[in-house]
Amino acid sequence: TELRLSHQWSTSDIRHQVAQMVADDVAAADVDLSIRIFGSKSLFKPREQYRPLSRGQLDMTVLPLSYAGGQQPAYNLTLMPGLVRNHDHAARLVDSPFMDALEEKMAEDDVMVLVHGYLAGGFAGKDGCITNPDDIAGLQTRAAGKSFEQMLAGANASIASMASSEIYNAMQTGVLDAANTSSSSFVSYRIYEQVSCYTPASDVALWFMYQPLLMNKTTFEGLTEEQQTALLEASANAQAFYLEEAKAQDAASADVFREAGVEIAEMTAEDFEAWRALAEETSYKAFVEEVPDGQALLDLALAVE
Amino acid sequence: MAAHSSAAVAHTGNNPFLRAVAAISTLAGWCSAGMIVLAVVVTCQMITIRFVFNGSTVWQTEAVIYLVIAATLIGLPYVQRLRGHVNVDLIPISLAPRARMVMAVFTLSMSIAIIGVMVWHGYEYWHLAYERNWKSDTIWGVRLWIPYLSIPVGFGLLMLQLIADLIAVLTGVDKPFGLE
Amino acid sequence: MDPLLLGGLVAIMTILVLFSGVSVAIGLLIVSAGFLLVFDGARSLELMPEILFGKLDNFALLSIPMFIIMGASIASTRAGADLYEALERWLTRIPGGLVISNLGACALFAAMSGSSPATCAAIGKMGIPEMRKRGYPEGVAAGSIAAGGTLGILIPPSVTMIVYGIATETSIGRLFLAGVIPGLLLVALFMAWSLYSTWKSGDATRLSSGSYTWKERFEILPRVLPFLGIILGVLYAMYGGIATPSETAAVGALLCLVIAMIIYKMWHPRDIWVVLRDSTKESVMILFIIAAAGVFSYMLSSLFITQSIAEWIGTLDVNRWVLMLAVNIFLLIAGFFLPPVAVILMAAPILLPIISTAGFDPIWFAVVLTINMEIGLISPPVGLNLYVINGIAPDISLKTILMGSLPFVACMVIAIVLLCLFPQLATWLPDFVMGTAV
Ligand code: NA
Ligand code: NA
Repeated sequence: TELRLSHQWSTSDIRHQVAQMVADDVAAADVDLSIRIFGSKSLFKPREQYRPLSRGQLDMTVLPLSYAGGQQPAYNLTLMPGLVRNHDHAARLVDSPFMDALEEKMAEDDVMVLVHGYLAGGFAGKDGCITNPDDIAGLQTRAAGKSFEQMLAGANASIASMASSEIYNAMQTGVLDAANTSSSSFVSYRIYEQVSCYTPASDVALWFMYQPLLMNKTTFEGLTEEQQTALLEASANAQAFYLEEAKAQDAASADVFREAGVEIAEMTAEDFEAWRALAEETSYKAFVEEVPDGQALLDLALAVE
Repeated sequence: MAAHSSAAVAHTGNNPFLRAVAAISTLAGWCSAGMIVLAVVVTCQMITIRFVFNGSTVWQTEAVIYLVIAATLIGLPYVQRLRGHVNVDLIPISLAPRARMVMAVFTLSMSIAIIGVMVWHGYEYWHLAYERNWKSDTIWGVRLWIPYLSIPVGFGLLMLQLIADLIAVLTGVDKPFGLE
Repeated sequence: MDPLLLGGLVAIMTILVLFSGVSVAIGLLIVSAGFLLVFDGARSLELMPEILFGKLDNFALLSIPMFIIMGASIASTRAGADLYEALERWLTRIPGGLVISNLGACALFAAMSGSSPATCAAIGKMGIPEMRKRGYPEGVAAGSIAAGGTLGILIPPSVTMIVYGIATETSIGRLFLAGVIPGLLLVALFMAWSLYSTWKSGDATRLSSGSYTWKERFEILPRVLPFLGIILGVLYAMYGGIATPSETAAVGALLCLVIAMIIYKMWHPRDIWVVLRDSTKESVMILFIIAAAGVFSYMLSSLFITQSIAEWIGTLDVNRWVLMLAVNIFLLIAGFFLPPVAVILMAAPILLPIISTAGFDPIWFAVVLTINMEIGLISPPVGLNLYVINGIAPDISLKTILMGSLPFVACMVIAIVLLCLFPQLATWLPDFVMGTAV
């Protein structure tokens, strides 16, 4: 049996490495199962992977789950400011009733998780550091994710929506003053050439995005027991790798910016609480209004210590 | 590429069906042009809001994208009517009239078949988005069945125009491939 | 089935289907559907409308109708004729001056239009009848415009470069700048060939038409100002922090419409509708091809054909120049069949890793790729510009247009060779303006 896995990342990306690990381990298990990886958006566009996955036209994918937030609004909790403090906290969330509730939602769409994982991100400012909500007022900002846009708008930032590939140019010409995205995107789009200050994820971080390896449930259930076991074992190994690498990436991105002569700022615990208080009034509120069982889900997430 | 002569419009003769389809396609063309103009206006509005007033621009990009998609799909029948869809006519030109006729009927039938597939699966896709109330994952949160509607509608009208073209060729109202 | 073999089969079927006379976009859908159904099952067929919609779901594509409106609104006024006449008055003494002013007008027009067929149509409408009237051979008249029109995607703004920038995540501003010097180089090569062929035809004296006084020459210059205004306006919007490159297209479209209405008094609704109708027609045609090419590339990728071809090219040889030659041949062949934007959407993400590994600069490669695409625009079977010329001058046979274009293809090959020898031709200007890339 051959399974098809689609993702948007380059072969050097951690998320590709996770997929490749699973593919290699499954192949090594010798259970007549192989995974063919279609990387770098070569099969589907990033935001167009979830629907074929849920209808069995695609077998597996690695993607930010919030991309499917328009179909399952509950997924917007997987890119919610201040919900995750750091990578260890993220690991505890993955093992909590909150994640069980999300997996129930995924099951509705015939989707299951093989590898859990969160990646962090930060802020970059063209003319100054962004650590506190006060820092962003009046700046033209490009945020990654709906909930972040809501929160930053609440901090009186001006939201500019544009493709991530336009960030570099928009910053260079002065269309944009600030941006918020993942550590790896900051590096791969070479944003360090255009900014004066970078606030990476460190002890605390605001921006965490859940980016699991997903599989179509019916396809999984159609595999033999041996194949399923091989797949699950491979996934468990990959998940451990994913967590360690995710931590390493934040530090690595800070190094790249530092070497490029960019000032590195740190978000304090007080800054974090200020953002979170703002998020409660903006993005959390909007989420609870939009999603019928939103409050219950949010409480489940907040209950994780 | 603004200068194709507009002389090559598909002929309708006095056939009421052909005329009705032509009218519908032309209407679709107006809608398409209107949406393109709207996209220009919205983009310029966005630039003004951002550059002059330093304000937030959250919905414009998405609106412009959907306008251009809808303009493309809804514009298909009109462009077909104007014979604006570029093709390679080296072989049809070199064929004898009878063979050319057969070729035209064949290509039109194939076109109708494939566009029929697009209409059918496009309708299913639209229906799924409508039934499950899918939205775009942005603050604006557009109900996706609205932009998706342009798939079955655009391809449906294109299919109608292709059927009209086939009838026109079969009844001799129009020449195969529009070649004199 | 071996993906490479399957790829060959797809190529043959695509040629057969496209040659049947079916519309290019619909033909691509037919081929895609056929192969998906046979080799991938019905589940992939269901996805076609979704994939087609997804390929259009990209803000950068806005620039296509916008740059076309720019071209169409200006082409509908006297502005193009002014530009054209100005060049002619200044160049009339040179044997073959008319063909040179045509090429110059193409180059200037290219700086306002993002698409090659638009450039081709705008200048060809005036240029081709004029050249024929003055006794230029049909082949030279048609060929020079077909080739001059291709500058539209090399000289910024360029729809092709925008799409490359999106597909490869490289800076669009940098890409635009990279096209400037190679664009001028091509103009020079085209002009050199035109001069040579005119001189060789022996009709040099007859071909240099009536002379103009210096007064007449200076008189016309102010009428070229709107052109410069638009070009400067667009450049300012793009590099002055007002708008991103794809948004700039809308500013350009609005500027051109406004200039057409105010300066050239094109205020009658009927005139405006003609511009909109023509722009809509061309935009929809190109966007439909892009969408259908997206489905086609999904089919190629889904059947693992694209990946296998890329791997195959990668294993051809260790010598990077042999690799570059292979890439060029691949692009050239792809360009024969598919419009530039489609080739770029399909090939760039696959080729770029190979190119970067071999130590080539992605910005430089964009220029090489674009010139390859320009060749495709004036070569069969899907040479878009040939058909545009055919539309403008229906009584010139496609064969004559094609033969007239061939020497210009040679010029483009020379330009690619020069770019390989002197990569700075492409990289110097962006580095100079925007600083060295890392
Ligand atoms: Na151009
Ligand atoms: Na071609």
